[in-house]
Amino acid sequence: MFDAANGEIYKALVTLAIEKTLLNMGKPVLDEVAHRLFKNYKSYMPDCYEHPEYLKSVLKELYGNCYNNIVKSINKNLEEFATKKPIEHFLTVISE
Amino acid sequence: MQTNLEKSRTKKYLLFSLLGTGFVIFVANLAGQDVATVASDLLYVPVLGALVILSIIIAARFNVKGEHGRSWILFVGLAASWFIAEQIWIVYDLVYQIDPWPSMADIFYLLGYPFLFLFSIYYLKPVKDAISKKTMAYASLATITLLIPLLYMAYDTDSEISTFELTLALSYPIADVIVLIPALIGVILFFRGEVNFLWSLMCIAIVLNVVADSGFLITSMDGSYYTGHPIDMLYLWAYILFSFGVYSHIQIFKKHRPNIKSQSLEDLR
Repeated sequence: MFDAANGEIYKALVTLAIEKTLLNMGKPVLDEVAHRLFKNYKSYMPDCYEHPEYLKSVLKELYGNCYNNIVKSINKNLEEFATKKPIEHFLTVISE
Repeated sequence: MQTNLEKSRTKKYLLFSLLGTGFVIFVANLAGQDVATVASDLLYVPVLGALVILSIIIAARFNVKGEHGRSWILFVGLAASWFIAEQIWIVYDLVYQIDPWPSMADIFYLLGYPFLFLFSIYYLKPVKDAISKKTMAYASLATITLLIPLLYMAYDTDSEISTFELTLALSYPIADVIVLIPALIGVILFFRGEVNFLWSLMCIAIVLNVVADSGFLITSMDGSYYTGHPIDMLYLWAYILFSFGVYSHIQIFKKHRPNIKSQSLEDLR
């Protein structure tokens, strides 16, 4: 039960980090990423915690191969929790 | 989201617009210098007008917030400055029928450059990690190679012109060089396959505008320039590329229906 609660917290942290990064770029960027996640994968922003590859693919669609800077910003927002296994996994997949 | 069909349609319209304006300038020049002057002056109104409207739409969509919002508000500043400059040029050219260089129009042309430079910096920000030192070096080298002959040409003109006119003539190549570095970086990223064509249109437009400015300087110095000269086609093409670049961003960042909006933190609570 404790693990499940932690999972929800990590999920919220990851969602917050993604939304903060995209909002810094502009609300339409956040809307467009959310729209593409739904359209391509029938997923929402919190689902990126379990499927970081969805976010990676959408960012690649929008910014080509130059999406690294966005990933870097998400990384920075999660820096404090980067040692936690699930967050480490998320960061590894989107940074690959 | 811009589908492949929309992308291909946008590219077709872009090609059609470039060929259409090229054809008008070509035919007008065949009909004579006066016709070319009127035709090109009249073409600037809808072309730049469309650019101003499109840039206002994209800036409003981003609500002047976020990095993209700031970059688009700078672009509105650029489009508005150059639109005003072109209108002043047209009034001098067609209404007063006097040489528009130098005039108030130059103040607005030059005012556009700081906007353009800051815009290009913000525009490249999301892809800054892809910019290597080598890319920077290539862009800087190409820019300096262009600057030296242009400065020489602007300075090595007849002594008839005043210090003010000389300063004005020298200001354009210097301003061009400043905006050319980030634009060339954008173009290099496109050729390296890092960014898509529609994204790089803005950078290609800046490069084309710099080429047009260089052409304008060369033809002005040898006295062969007149409004509607084939070199003006490059300015029109640069404005068209800017417009399509902005339009593609409007298409990408469309407003979406709320029912497929993000399930966000609110929904996790």
